[in-house]
Amino acid sequence: MRADDLIQPALDRGQSALSEYESKKLLSLYGIPVTREKLSHSADEAVSAAAELGFPVVLKGCSPELMHKSEHGCIELNLRSEGDVREAYRRIINRVDLELEGVLVQEMVSGQRELVIGLTRNPQFGPCVMLGMGGIMTEVFEDTTFRMAPFGKIEAKDMTEELRFKAILGAFRGQKPVDMDMLCRTLIAVGQIGLDLDTVSELDINPMIITPEGRVVAVDALVLLRRDEK
Amino acid sequence: MIESIEASPLYPIANPKSIVVFGASNSITSMGTSLLDSVLDLGFEGEIYPIHPKESRVQNLKAYRNVLDLPSVPDLALIVLPTRIVSEAMDACGRKGIRHAIVISGGFKEVGGEGANLEKELVAVANKYGMRFLGPNCIGVANPRRKLNTTFMAFQGAPGFIGMASQSGSFVTQMFGYLSDYALGFSTAISVGNEANIDLVDCMEYLGACPDTRVIALYIEGIQRGRAFVETARSIVPKKPIVALYVGGSEAGSRASLSHTGALAGPDRLYEGIFRQSGIIRARSVMEMFDICWTLGSIPRIKGRRVVIQTHSGGPGVEAADACARAGLELPSLSLETIKRLRPFIPKTGSINNPVDFTFGKNLIDYFSKIPKVLLDEKNADILLFYSFTPKQRLQRLMRQMGIPTDQIEIQAAKLVNTYYESIIQLFENHDKPFVGYTFQDLKDPLVRILIERGIPIFQGPQRAARAIEAAYQYTLLREKILAADSQEAGMGQS
Repeated sequence: MRADDLIQPALDRGQSALSEYESKKLLSLYGIPVTREKLSHSADEAVSAAAELGFPVVLKGCSPELMHKSEHGCIELNLRSEGDVREAYRRIINRVDLELEGVLVQEMVSGQRELVIGLTRNPQFGPCVMLGMGGIMTEVFEDTTFRMAPFGKIEAKDMTEELRFKAILGAFRGQKPVDMDMLCRTLIAVGQIGLDLDTVSELDINPMIITPEGRVVAVDALVLLRRDEK
Repeated sequence: MIESIEASPLYPIANPKSIVVFGASNSITSMGTSLLDSVLDLGFEGEIYPIHPKESRVQNLKAYRNVLDLPSVPDLALIVLPTRIVSEAMDACGRKGIRHAIVISGGFKEVGGEGANLEKELVAVANKYGMRFLGPNCIGVANPRRKLNTTFMAFQGAPGFIGMASQSGSFVTQMFGYLSDYALGFSTAISVGNEANIDLVDCMEYLGACPDTRVIALYIEGIQRGRAFVETARSIVPKKPIVALYVGGSEAGSRASLSHTGALAGPDRLYEGIFRQSGIIRARSVMEMFDICWTLGSIPRIKGRRVVIQTHSGGPGVEAADACARAGLELPSLSLETIKRLRPFIPKTGSINNPVDFTFGKNLIDYFSKIPKVLLDEKNADILLFYSFTPKQRLQRLMRQMGIPTDQIEIQAAKLVNTYYESIIQLFENHDKPFVGYTFQDLKDPLVRILIERGIPIFQGPQRAARAIEAAYQYTLLREKILAADSQEAGMGQS
C-alpha cells in the first residue's frame, strides 16, 4: 500500500480528514508504532477481533467526521470480556448519530506518560513538527517545541531536551526511560510525511503513550487533509 | 553560504568607493539632506555625487542634473525621493550601469494598496538591470570602519565587532550611542526595511563572511525566507554566534485550527524552536541581546556552566550566587588546591568558599592579580564572575594617613588603581579561561571605563552577567550540536 492509496480515495469521498483507522495506517507506512487494532462492523466481528488482540481492549467509533471522540462519548475503555465488548459495541452504535466507518477494536495500551506529536504547516518554514506533553492536559501545560522538517536524530533528541517536563522521558516512578531512538525516528518520520504529502495539511498523534517498558505507541491519531479549493 | 564577502550583494552597498545621492538638497529640513550630512559627517572618503534638478552645488559638492551626466559609474545609489519617482530614478541608475542601491523612501508595501504596486514596479526595474538593493522603507547601512553611514542620524562612537541586521531602523541609529557607552560598536549595521530585494538571509550571509564581525545580532519581526534562514544560520554558527531578538510573536495562533498541533503552533513557540534549530541564541530584550553579544565577542568559548564568584563583600556575593542559580548556572565547590593557594591572600574575616569573599584583605593588589589568577586556574570552574569595584576612596584614605599632600592624592590614587587594573587586564587577555565582571558603579566612571575599554564585559548587576554567561554557554552547546549533526551527515554521505 502507498500513502496515495489511502489519501486519494478519502479525498474522492470528500473527506476533510482521515479516520483514526486510516490515519494510523498512514503512520504505519512511515514506520511509526501504532496500537494493534481491527475495524469491526458488527458486535460479532468486534468480539472475535478482541479475542484475537487479547483482552483488555478499547472500542472506538470510527469515522473521519469524528475528530474529538471523547467529546462524543464514543470511546469505551478497559473491556475485559466478550460481554463487555458486546455491550460497549451497542452503546457506541446507539450514542453516535453519524454514519460510522465501523467500530475500532484496539489493544489497551497502559502507560501514565503521554506525549503529543504533530505536524503543522507554516507559510515561511513549510512543514514543522511538534513534540509536547500530551493527553488531556496538552493545552493546559503548553509544553511544546517545534522544528522545521527535515531534521536528523541529533535535532530530534534536542527537541526532547527542550521540554520543561523532560524528566518523564527518563526512568520515572519505576518505569523505564523512553526508547529515545524510536521517539526520534517518529519525529523524523512525521516531518517526512509533511515533506512527501502535500495533501496532508496537519497531523496529530495524541496521545503517544510511553509504556512502562519505554516503548512509544500512537494510541490516537488524526490526519487533516487539504482539499484543493475549487 | 557565500565563499567570500565580496560575493555578497551587500558588499558594494556596505563598502562603496563612490556614491550618488538622490534627494539631498540645501534645505536643512529634508531627509535627504540629513542623510548626506551623516555621510559627510563621518568623513566618507570616496566620491559623492548629489543629483539635484536645479542646484549646481549641494552642501558644497558639485551637483548633477541627471545621473547619466556623472563622470563615472558610482558603486552605490542612495535614493531618498518621493515614492512615485523612485522607480524612475532607479531606472536611470540602471541605464547608467549602477548595480547597487539603497532605497530609503517609504510609502511602498508597508502602506498597502497603491504602495504595494509601486514596490512591484521598483522590483521589476531592478530586475531588468540585474540590480540589487536594500529597502525600500529602510535607513540603510552603517559601516564605520569604511566611514560609511547612510542613516539620517550622525554616527557616534567607534567601530566594533557587532554585525547587526534589523527590521527596525531605530535599532541601528539609536544604538550608536547606547553601544558606545559600553565601549562597543557595530562592525556593520544594516536596516533591511521591506526586504523587497535584499533580505535578512542575505545580511546574515554578509555578516557571516565579514572579518570584522565577531557576533551577529538580529532584530526580527518576521522571517520571509524561512527555510533559507535556518540553513544559512546553521552554516554560520560553527564560525560565529548569532543572537536574535524576535518580537511580534505573542499574538495567538493566526487561524483557527482543528488539530492540537495547529492550535499550539503560535508564532512565538514556532520561532523558539526554529531559533534553537538554527543554532541562534534568543534574547528577550534589546539590552539583553547586546549584553550577550558583548560577552560572546569578548571572551574565549565557555566549556561548561560552573561559575566561581569573587567578591570583596558578602551581599554582592550572595546576590551573584542567587542570580547564577536562577540563570541555570552552577556554583562548584573549590578544589583543595585552590583553597590552599588562596589562604595567604584571604584574611580570617573573609571566606574561602564559592563565592570567595576577600573582605578587607591586606594587599588590595591581590584582589586584582593573585586571587583571580588562582580562581581562573580552578579546575572545577569554567568561568570567573568578578565583582568589580574601584578602590579609589580606600586608597585616598590610606594616602591621607600616610601624609601624602592633598593635591597629589587624587592623581596618585588614580594611578594606583590603574596599576591594579592593568594586572586584571593582563589576566583577561592572557588566560585561556573566560571571566566577566559585574558592578553597581556607573560605566561612565573614568576608572570603570578603563576596564571596559580594554574589552572586559562588566555588567550592571549580577543578573545581567549571569544571563549573559548562560547564553554564552548556550552558544557552546548549539555550536556543538550543529557540528555533530554536520559530521553525522558527512559520515552518511560517505557510506
